[in-house]
Amino acid sequence: MNRQPKERFDSKRFSIMGILQKYVIIIVFVLCILVFGIINPKFLSGSNILNILWQNAYMVVASLGMAILLIGGGVDLSAGYEISIGGVIAAACLVWWNIPIWLTIILSIAVVVLLSMLNGFITVKFKINALMVTLGTMTIYSGISNIFTNQKAIFNLPAAFKFIGQGTIFGVVPLVAVIMVILIAAASFILNKTYLGRLIYAVGVNPEAANLAGIKVEKTKMMVFALAGVFFGISAVLLVSRTGSANASMATGTEFTCITAAVLGGVAIQGGEGKIWSVVVSAFILGILANGMQIIGLGVYAQYIAKGTILIVAMAFDTYQKANGTKRLKS
Amino acid sequence: MDEKILVLKNIKKAYPGVLALDDVSIEFKKGEVHAIVGENGAGKSTLIKIIAGAVKPDSGEIILDGKTFYKTTPQEAISNGISVIYQEFNLFDSLSAAENIFVGEKPGHGNLVNFKRLNAVASDIFARFNVNFRPDIPVKELSPGQKQIVEISKAIHKEAKIIIMDEPTAPLSIAEVEKLFEIIRELKQSGVTIIYISHRLDEIFTIADRVSVMRDGKYIATNMVSATTRKELISLMVGRELKTSYPGPQVMPSDKALEVINVTGNGVHNISLSVRKGEILGMAGLVGAGRTELMRIIYGAEKLESGEILVGGKLARINSPAKALKLGIGLIPEDRKQQGAFLTMSIAWNICISNIKRISKYGVVNRKMEQELSKTYYDLLNIKAPSMEQQVSNLSGGNQQKVVLAKVLAARTDVLIFDEPTRGIDVGAREEIYHLMRRLSDEGKAIIMVSSDMEELLGMSDRILVMAEGRITGEIAKSEFNQQHILELASRNI
Repeated sequence: MNRQPKERFDSKRFSIMGILQKYVIIIVFVLCILVFGIINPKFLSGSNILNILWQNAYMVVASLGMAILLIGGGVDLSAGYEISIGGVIAAACLVWWNIPIWLTIILSIAVVVLLSMLNGFITVKFKINALMVTLGTMTIYSGISNIFTNQKAIFNLPAAFKFIGQGTIFGVVPLVAVIMVILIAAASFILNKTYLGRLIYAVGVNPEAANLAGIKVEKTKMMVFALAGVFFGISAVLLVSRTGSANASMATGTEFTCITAAVLGGVAIQGGEGKIWSVVVSAFILGILANGMQIIGLGVYAQYIAKGTILIVAMAFDTYQKANGTKRLKS
Repeated sequence: MDEKILVLKNIKKAYPGVLALDDVSIEFKKGEVHAIVGENGAGKSTLIKIIAGAVKPDSGEIILDGKTFYKTTPQEAISNGISVIYQEFNLFDSLSAAENIFVGEKPGHGNLVNFKRLNAVASDIFARFNVNFRPDIPVKELSPGQKQIVEISKAIHKEAKIIIMDEPTAPLSIAEVEKLFEIIRELKQSGVTIIYISHRLDEIFTIADRVSVMRDGKYIATNMVSATTRKELISLMVGRELKTSYPGPQVMPSDKALEVINVTGNGVHNISLSVRKGEILGMAGLVGAGRTELMRIIYGAEKLESGEILVGGKLARINSPAKALKLGIGLIPEDRKQQGAFLTMSIAWNICISNIKRISKYGVVNRKMEQELSKTYYDLLNIKAPSMEQQVSNLSGGNQQKVVLAKVLAARTDVLIFDEPTRGIDVGAREEIYHLMRRLSDEGKAIIMVSSDMEELLGMSDRILVMAEGRITGEIAKSEFNQQHILELASRNI
């Protein structure tokens, strides 16, 4: 008896709570900047702000991939090692095999896409939760990455390749920042403007209804994993070209930061919800937090504590909102 | 034998918009098998839940063994000797039969489980029923009949005085039904009262002593089984008048739009049916008769094992809902919230999702076409909301259903399958949906309507097919519509 006597459009509640919920992430963002800026004005210097951009571009790009994956009802714990493998493949291509830069970039992205699609394939075909699948492949990929490099770092990447991650346009604007902005626009375009974007939301929010609506759920999920792989692959190229060297576990922990950024940005962990802009803002909040904590003299381990706490708080907030939402639906 | 073990007095229970139980009074005697019959929605389930303490009545008394309760909790019901065996068994699959029988109590001294005693007690109960399977094997390895015996044994071990069985024979084979009846007779002998809910009237004549009939939440009558007939029971169960006005057809049915020939799979057997353009075909049957299962095969959501489906006279291989939609078949599913609508998305988003590729160019959704398409159906179906950007979860049931229908229509479908089209929808919106359905059929759409609402079936259908236990048991033309006849076909044992 789910009868609802009349429509419930609670406009007042929607406007105040709605706006607050919508822009809470911006408020947090500004708050972070203010707090660190007051504690140590060096934080607000132009060079430090650029520094944050340099450091986090690859992370933002990877977060875009993770956000798409989560919206489509997946997740990827192996992303850190996928990006590591993408990095060492790129380095090996250039240093060991003398492959041209353009082909190196394509190869490295292609490998990451394949790894991500393997995750998708296992998830879809064997109907295993993506969380468990990628927990398994995370270990597998770490093994592959270490065996491939023989646990040695690969140095001396060519300068022309390093320009991707270290170069600037007009002498100030980091090239990575430009690439990042283009990719943000691309991700946003795919999710909001294309029909693939619609299908991604549909399979993420309700796979059963999606199937009955004539959407090929398995195929769409594979597309989601492939698409995420493209972003992870580009992220790998950005990372390795900035650091100028590669090693087997160069991007471990990326998956954690990406998932945190996505959840903090309002992407529902159960899929089907999320906006790109708020994921980007959230990725920067995490970047600012890392940078800011360093500047005010807190070490890397304190950052771990902060990041873990943020993930849990963000999830709790998400769950709380959902519970409230359904209560309202039932009343 | 005439001692009253349970008396229900003036029980009332209302859900928003529906009076589920209207002043129901029934007496149950010690050691009798008391059947309760009634159509879908007659109030049987609510009644069981009230006796079991799972639902609180709005008013009335429950007199249990002389003690008067105004409401009970599940714990009180159990400790007062009431056990319910639901259709979905309430067992722990990975625990053994014996462990399940002892569930909820401390089986042994201290913190250790005395498996020897557990198995011995279970074996004793099994011996009493003359069944022999080992009490120490996990429940998941048992057959449905054996699982049921574990449930009954659990009730016996808890010293149940009243055992309520809800459609107990539904999952059983014929041999297992025989066994169940043997057990029921044995329980009766030892003074246990059995409240027996079943759609299968034949069984009631085999096993029950008395039978009470319910209809539309009201208690109708209690008869001695020996003093009544099948015919009389059915006439007590029906006898309702049409209240809503139903729009009649304005056109004659034309060509066959969909033909199903000897279809088997997903629990239905050897089904043949056809539906014409401009016709509304009603599918009648009791819950679990296989109607939804059949519709899911036609729609490509379940596998067809054998048989053929013809769309517009041409053989069609429908292996997915996507294919069905391409062929012009649409489904408005039973469970609107889970299967039909994307609740967190907007109305426009929902309307366009099945059609999203057609309104895209080079992979990009054409906003203008999207607006036009959704506006067309938004207006056509008269969906009431502040705007098309409104989230569907904020709409009423009737408007949600219209959004689901709009989505199916926007995909250019002309065979429409409505599975319980007005479940949980209030009266006003209901009539609107009926008029929409009739308008669509007058425009030449072929409609199949699965419904458990007898009134709706009789009012809307141009022809009715009746299903029971996965098979078609009869076809009735509009001029011969008759509730009694439908019910008889629906409760036929095959």
